[in-house]
Amino acid sequence: MSRPETARRAPRLELKDIVLMVMLGVVFGFLYWALVQAWNGLAVLMGPAGDLAQHVLLGGWLIVAPIAIAILRRPFVGIVAEVIASVIEVVFLGSPVGPILLVVAAIQGLGSELPFAAGRYRRFGWARYAVSGLMGAGLVFVFSAFRFDWWGQDILLLRLGLQLASGVLLGGLLARVVVDALVRTGALDNFAIVRDQADRRAPVARRER
Amino acid sequence: MSWLERANPTVKMALLLVVSLATLFLLDVRVLLTLYLLGLVAAYGAARLDVRTLALAQVPFLLFAVGLVMVNAVSRPGEPLVEGSAVRVTVEGLVMGVALALRGMVIGVLTVAFLATTPPRDLMASLAQHARLSPRYAYSMLAGHRMLVAMPRRWATIRAAQAVRAPLGRDGRPRLGVRDFGRAAFTLLVGSVRASERIALAMESRGLSAGPRTVWRPVPVGRRDAVLAVVVLGTAVAVVVGGRLV
Repeated sequence: MSRPETARRAPRLELKDIVLMVMLGVVFGFLYWALVQAWNGLAVLMGPAGDLAQHVLLGGWLIVAPIAIAILRRPFVGIVAEVIASVIEVVFLGSPVGPILLVVAAIQGLGSELPFAAGRYRRFGWARYAVSGLMGAGLVFVFSAFRFDWWGQDILLLRLGLQLASGVLLGGLLARVVVDALVRTGALDNFAIVRDQADRRAPVARRER
Repeated sequence: MSWLERANPTVKMALLLVVSLATLFLLDVRVLLTLYLLGLVAAYGAARLDVRTLALAQVPFLLFAVGLVMVNAVSRPGEPLVEGSAVRVTVEGLVMGVALALRGMVIGVLTVAFLATTPPRDLMASLAQHARLSPRYAYSMLAGHRMLVAMPRRWATIRAAQAVRAPLGRDGRPRLGVRDFGRAAFTLLVGSVRASERIALAMESRGLSAGPRTVWRPVPVGRRDAVLAVVVLGTAVAVVVGGRLV
């Protein structure tokens, strides 16, 4: 039996959950910004290949959604976390892509969230993370292909392949690695990911010091 | 204060989003070029950006545009520009590349004007007031903004702390390889997750989590914003229709 607290969950997210989502957006936004600074010079040197290089890094944008879902285990968290991250990207970091990034983020978040929703936010195996990254990357590919009219190009399949691979690795499997490592640090002890597991176990002292 | 600075942030953002989405359906080079030039005029006149800032802001778009034109020129079927050259460059691809690049530049120049005239605090307050964004999200985002400002410093601290113990590179300086970057990034993440819990607690103890709220320094919305909406949407429609007719 689960504790009554989990049986009737609060209808909305706690403030601490919202701040955590914001913080994920801030940290990954900052890291991505730092990476892109180094990347831009390289992309210019590569010329036409620089346009392809964006697909290699794309999975990095997806990672916020699976991490947020795995930690908070609530519906819509993936989409909300992605949109928050995009707002930070546009408004605070001044991304020149503009508010269209909000639309892109919502599509990505939806794609990443679907596999976890299908598991009713209870299953978090490696395969599910991988599919999450795959669907996030795949769904946003359709939108981007429309946005940049990739349909008419000869290299459509190359783009798709690079993007899906990046989605699975950076936007899926890496998320699981990060989440597992975060749990081990104890920083998530007050969030659903650790609390739910503690509920399932027998009520013994969780830690001995 | 420029004209655009006094306009309502929510209205500005909504207009920017509408225009950005609308450009996704445009591929006419003349129309996009007209919109881009109008955007430059607006950024100069209504947002009061000086020429230097405006020119510098175009650099990333130009770089991006170069890549976009090149990749489209060589990857699309169509009439070759020069017969018998080693790399097949098509006219269709070139035109398409320029149109796509201009699309990004239209959005870019408007975004630059928007961001230059919109303080984050006002945008969040306005979204809470006028777009029914929950204040819990608005205040969390503002807390996130403060954290973001502090991020480079935290990063430098972590890097310094890890460099003390790390083996040095050949030239005697601390290295920053993929592994080092990953380690520093994870440290930053853990520290930030812990900080997020403290921040949430601090916000809750100040009563920022519940109940109806008043807003300090509310952001006004008025006739100016209606004028802005009519001017922006009217101009965009006029340019598009004009492009169809001519």
